[in-house]
Amino acid sequence: MTGRRILHLLLIAVVLVYPLIAADSPVYGRLGALVLLGAISASAWNIVGGYAGQVSIGHAVFFGIGAYASVTSFVHLDLPPIAGAPIGMLLSVLVAAAIGVPTLRLSGHYFSMATIAVGELVRVLSSTSDFLGGAQGLGGPAMPRTMFDLSFVSATPYYYIFLAVLVALLGLTHWIERSRMGFYLRAIKDSERAARSLGVSSGRYKLYAFMLSAAFTSLAGSLYLCMFGFIDPESGFGILISVKMVVMAALGGAGQLFGPLVGALILVPLEELSNSYLGGQGAGLTFVVYGAIIVIIARFLPSGLLSLLERRKVVRRAD
Amino acid sequence: MVKVSRRTAAAGAALLAFGLAGSAFAQSTVKIGAVYPLSGNAASAGNYEKMAIELAAEVVNNGNAELARMLPFISPTGGLPGLKGAKVQVVVADNQGAPAAGANQTLRLITQEKVAAVIGAYQSGITETTSAIAEKYGIPFVNPESVAANLTERGFKWFFRVTPVAADFAKAYSAFLREQKAAGKKVDSIAIIHENTEYGNSVAKVIAEVFKTDGLNVTQNISYSANSTDVQPQVLQLKEKNPDVAIFISYTSDAILYTKTMKEQNWKPQILIADDAGFNDPKYIKEMGSQVEGLISRTSFAAGKPGSVAAIFDALYKKKTNGDGLEDVSGRGLQGMLVLLDAINRAGSTDPAKIQAALKATDLKQEQMVAGYKGVKFDAKGQNILASSIVTQMRGGQYAPVWPKANATADLVLPYKGW
Amino acid sequence: MSMTLVQVVVSGLLLGAIYALFSSGLTLIWGMMNVVNFAHGDFVMLGMYTAVVVWTALGGGPWASVPIAAIAIASLGIASYFLLVRHIMRGPMLAQILGTFGLALFLRYSAFNVFGANFRTLPDTLVGHSFVLGGIRFEGARVLAGAVGLIVTLALHFMLTRTAIGSRMLAVSEDATAAQLMGIRPQRMQALAWGLAGAATGIAGALIATFFYTSPTVGETLAIVAFVTVSFGGFGSVLGALVAGLIIGVVESVSAFEIGPVYKDVVVYVLFVLVLWFRPQGLMGKT
Repeated sequence: MTGRRILHLLLIAVVLVYPLIAADSPVYGRLGALVLLGAISASAWNIVGGYAGQVSIGHAVFFGIGAYASVTSFVHLDLPPIAGAPIGMLLSVLVAAAIGVPTLRLSGHYFSMATIAVGELVRVLSSTSDFLGGAQGLGGPAMPRTMFDLSFVSATPYYYIFLAVLVALLGLTHWIERSRMGFYLRAIKDSERAARSLGVSSGRYKLYAFMLSAAFTSLAGSLYLCMFGFIDPESGFGILISVKMVVMAALGGAGQLFGPLVGALILVPLEELSNSYLGGQGAGLTFVVYGAIIVIIARFLPSGLLSLLERRKVVRRAD
Repeated sequence: MVKVSRRTAAAGAALLAFGLAGSAFAQSTVKIGAVYPLSGNAASAGNYEKMAIELAAEVVNNGNAELARMLPFISPTGGLPGLKGAKVQVVVADNQGAPAAGANQTLRLITQEKVAAVIGAYQSGITETTSAIAEKYGIPFVNPESVAANLTERGFKWFFRVTPVAADFAKAYSAFLREQKAAGKKVDSIAIIHENTEYGNSVAKVIAEVFKTDGLNVTQNISYSANSTDVQPQVLQLKEKNPDVAIFISYTSDAILYTKTMKEQNWKPQILIADDAGFNDPKYIKEMGSQVEGLISRTSFAAGKPGSVAAIFDALYKKKTNGDGLEDVSGRGLQGMLVLLDAINRAGSTDPAKIQAALKATDLKQEQMVAGYKGVKFDAKGQNILASSIVTQMRGGQYAPVWPKANATADLVLPYKGW
Repeated sequence: MSMTLVQVVVSGLLLGAIYALFSSGLTLIWGMMNVVNFAHGDFVMLGMYTAVVVWTALGGGPWASVPIAAIAIASLGIASYFLLVRHIMRGPMLAQILGTFGLALFLRYSAFNVFGANFRTLPDTLVGHSFVLGGIRFEGARVLAGAVGLIVTLALHFMLTRTAIGSRMLAVSEDATAAQLMGIRPQRMQALAWGLAGAATGIAGALIATFFYTSPTVGETLAIVAFVTVSFGGFGSVLGALVAGLIIGVVESVSAFEIGPVYKDVVVYVLFVLVLWFRPQGLMGKT
């Protein structure tokens, strides 16, 4: 027990001082921030996709709304991009309600396919909007004007901002997990019919989860914009953005608090490093390796990497 | 069995001595980062650019007596003359067609590979994020091909764009069409058909604006998605309205579909113009060229007379790619790299600030061009003010320059013949 | 209705039959074992490259490439089933997305590695030229693909509903344990389904290649169309996919012609969501 506690403290310490460890290498410093950003969006997805079992493949809608809310705050209102984050979150909650009401009644794969369609719909429409910069996209402040533009050379400030957001999100998720809502969501995931017969208003709780998830996905989009300073329909609303959230959460372990973080810890460095070492040849090897590793993990650990720990726990209890 | 003649042994020893002496002298290699889409939908274009940029480095490293007479940064024996024969190493990175991946890779090139300058990144959106990283780190960024107007409006100090922008293409088309009109050709109705990502949208918008001020009548403006599975309805729309002139702004996949569908539906306008890009893809030219005889295109590359810089590079590129000649994308990429190499050579150093100063002082002449520009000279915003376009026409499966007259190697033949 | 509009509708119907052709394999798998194959578009892509290889290596047209592609992609389907799908079916539904998405990237970029990034086309003389019938133009390659699309989807439909092997496959999809008690081996039936789906997909790819471009990323474009077609028609219903394909083809063509090509996807997606609103199980899916 104490051994485990020491391990946990050690892990927390590593997470807190990581930017100092990576201080010599801006690339690894940035990698840390990118892992956290990936973990934020995948953890946000996890609320509805993992806990409530509603596999949305259209979450890029909210990611894009967040990014565009930020960039338009700058372009049209001359505010720092981060000022758009609350607007984006609010808008995402409303859009989630509008999407959720018709689609959440669909079961299983039908829901997934409907969210893909909605995502593509929003992507196509966004590319025809002049307000959103059309297909060309919009750029944030080219040169940081004040600190509030959150445009830094070093990745360290991003790292701590993202870490704070992730901790808040995971804290909230943990709280939900243990609340009545968490219990309802698990019931809905196991068997919606059974949950309903027990008097759980499944539609209402699914919608709550969807809206909450949308708000945080949108925040991830706003943070992305602050870091990269540019958004276009493909990098905001593209289907790959949605799929990556699903894959990250599923790889680590969907419906578990730290699942998406573990997924991000594996996938983001894998993506960046394989691109760094193999991408320059132009032979497509980056994705051959990336795809193969995902296939192997899915083949041997279909419930995600965290199921490895679960198994050990079960074995230990059996002892 | 082991039978080494005295002569080869002596030659070997000489080589060894030379090599040692060489390495003692030589400047450290000049590293240049290249960020291009090598996977994803634009990978075809990205790979052609990669080969063109690598070719420029190879020519500098190996030397070329013929080119050395025309280009001061190429020596007859190899290496950059201004840096005591230093070699050039290109570090290529894949931006995966994503603005985020482009930025991440640029950061790696600058901070890990310690490149002296960066060249890239094809799509305007990716050029935006990658050049922002270079700007933050104070590393020169040369952009050979992105056309979005705002790129040079950001107040960047380290950003240099060699390519003409959409407004230049539009003016070229307008002048060309007005000339045809004066010559009695019918250009009363014009259709613009463009794919709806950044490239197609921005070029189409500018063309429509310029044509309007120049009194050319755009009667149809069709926007479509480049990864459409089918373009028959659009071709039928065109067939119904039957405009005199059709201008396509397309990537390769859609260029192929339009070419096939126009033939299927048996429709052709009097004048068919294709804005570069997909219609200039070497594979398109090879496999579809015979179906579009008389197609007019814009390019920034024309091989020109034998012995010219462009012709020599074209021959070298063909050798490197097993037959694909330089075209607009690879030609502009190569030109961008040559501009950068020229600046580094004049800077005489790999110090970013000195390269930046040298880039600002760039003054390349028309006869030193691979691309069909009037030369290279940057304004205060980093835009090449001498960039220009050539109008070409498809003749027997190959494009030949037909306009302006100064660059023409063939006469313009109208109307469009097709298949 | 103007002649041009008739032409648009006819083109749309032909396109719809082709959509049905490359979606039928997906719906078969989906209906039989509730598995979404995210690599489906890349199966089609490999079928297309098979046609390109047959043409460049043997100089053969669809008569040679269609059977070869059918065998090649059927083998790929069976191999995917035994090496991957069989195992991920034990996990949650998300494992399917994870596994088949990884497979998609792996296949797409393996093709990229072998064939390069370039766009390839087959000469349009392989099948035959376009012809005019009653004032409407038809293109040989599309007519062939559309006709084969109808034949393949109808054949699959009859096989599932009217033959002994079909009812055994359906028994497995209803209740694998009960089927096993009746002496049916579920794994064999499921592998057979992957083989059949692969064959249909291979045929689709080889035929599409005769009038479309072929590139490593072409599967991405086709996959989304297939997903929409299949869920529009109802999972597992081959006939549903055919009807949905025809509807989508016509709606797409007419809206591209009347409203504008950018909005054709918008119209299709809105229609799709509406259909699900009224029929959550798709047009012909089981509840």
